[in-house]
Amino acid sequence: MINFEEELKKFHPSLEIEDAEDAIHSQDLTDVADILINMLKIQEVMRHRAEPGNQERQGEEVTV
Amino acid sequence: MVCYNCGCHLSEHNFCTACRVDVGMYKKIMALSNRFYNEGLEKAGIRDLTGAISSLKQSLKFNKNNIEARNLLGLVYYELGEVISALREWVISKNLMPEKNIADGYIKMIQSNQSKLDTINQTIKKYNQALNYCRQGNLDIAVIQLKKVLSLNSRFVRAHQLLALLYMEGNEWEKARRELNKCIKIDAKNTSTLRYLKEVEGMLTAEEGVRLQPRKKELVAKEAVTYQSGNELIIQPIGAKEPRGVPTLFNMGIGIVVGLAVAWFLVLPARLQSTQAAIDTQLRTISEQSDAKTATITGMEQQIQDLEEEKRSLQEKLNSYVGKDGTLQAMDKLLSAANTFLAQQGDVIAVSEFLDGINIQEMGASASPAFITLYQTLTQRVGPELATTYYDKGYSAYKQENYQEAVVYLEKAYQYDTANGDALFYLANSYRATNSIEQAKEAYVKVINEFPDTIKANKSQVYLAEINNGN
Repeated sequence: MINFEEELKKFHPSLEIEDAEDAIHSQDLTDVADILINMLKIQEVMRHRAEPGNQERQGEEVTV
Repeated sequence: MVCYNCGCHLSEHNFCTACRVDVGMYKKIMALSNRFYNEGLEKAGIRDLTGAISSLKQSLKFNKNNIEARNLLGLVYYELGEVISALREWVISKNLMPEKNIADGYIKMIQSNQSKLDTINQTIKKYNQALNYCRQGNLDIAVIQLKKVLSLNSRFVRAHQLLALLYMEGNEWEKARRELNKCIKIDAKNTSTLRYLKEVEGMLTAEEGVRLQPRKKELVAKEAVTYQSGNELIIQPIGAKEPRGVPTLFNMGIGIVVGLAVAWFLVLPARLQSTQAAIDTQLRTISEQSDAKTATITGMEQQIQDLEEEKRSLQEKLNSYVGKDGTLQAMDKLLSAANTFLAQQGDVIAVSEFLDGINIQEMGASASPAFITLYQTLTQRVGPELATTYYDKGYSAYKQENYQEAVVYLEKAYQYDTANGDALFYLANSYRATNSIEQAKEAYVKVINEFPDTIKANKSQVYLAEINNGN
């Protein structure tokens, strides 16, 4: 049996034209490919630091 | 596919041949994105738009740069009546790939039609309002609002679903089924639609069962013959005969007469009334248009009249400047004056006849510097003598009380010698005598201002006071 009140909660207001700009700006476009590329870059930096001669730079923050 | 690190085209190897970066996992992610896109495309093809949205979103989660997936997602949203969501996807797509992007065409299609865009916005606003009404418990108003929404955008699936839900709440199962069937035609496998439809079908089947039961009992009670044929139960009434022959024709005749009467008394007047109303509206519109046109014509006629008037005055002005042979009269007169002055030395009257015809003030900027110089030279040469001659003649006429003639000569005398206060004073008196009161007042004022502390000025003050007192 369908509960009207419960079903009504599933309906949300539709985006209006005035809100379209905000919706576009606030859209999180991060994808799996971005995450993977970041991970690979961090891995690369870590490997570079682990190499002999680069030990003294280990204290620095990793920025990608 | 290009390397994420250096941008070179990738080969079949799991590393970039240019920068040696490991791209195995990256390639898998790209492949997954494409797979979800293909799935979304297939689902959209069989009108499983909800499924298509889910797959395309997955595809974009793996690769946001999958332009085809994003454009298709926009298209699916558009088909569902979610125009703003569609626009959002197309705008992002256009930003990610500005050149050769089909989304550009979609955006232009929507933006180029302002009225369509307004309708879309109105539809969305009304839908949101309807949703608010639902939450406030004003279900009847919400139904009306949603009907308006759907009349503007019949593909808005969410509005159809909400309307169906409202019908279900009001136990209007048949109407709810109709709305849900419309939803299914647009989006075949929407879970909510299917769930609602199942509920509606269940309720309708139960209602039909309740409605059929008493009828079945009635039929059995009429001593109907019932028998089983295979799996079917056959119920045949006893003694039921169809009327045949004359009574049938008679009944048909009555039916036709009643039908015609209904058409004549009910349908026809209503039709006539509606036609009359339409004609009235049309007449009103035509009359309004006619009034507007009449007003425009009147305005234009007035404009033509004004222009003609202006043209006439300009023509007259031009004619005054141009002589019979087409040369400028003033120029002609000045040359004649110069010629007379050179040829007949001393005949200042003859020179003045030509000079009098030139009104240097009226000519204003149209007079050339050479023209003005020549005019001034001639005036200086003949002016004093002319002034004396005219003054003598004017004064003589004034003494003989021939004021009309005195005015003519004294005006010229003062024109050629503005230091001659007597000429101005007698001119003022002549004006007064010829009843040119305004000119007389002006002349007296001039005497008072230009020749103060003289007998003339004192007399002028007295005469001016007399004129002002009406004596």
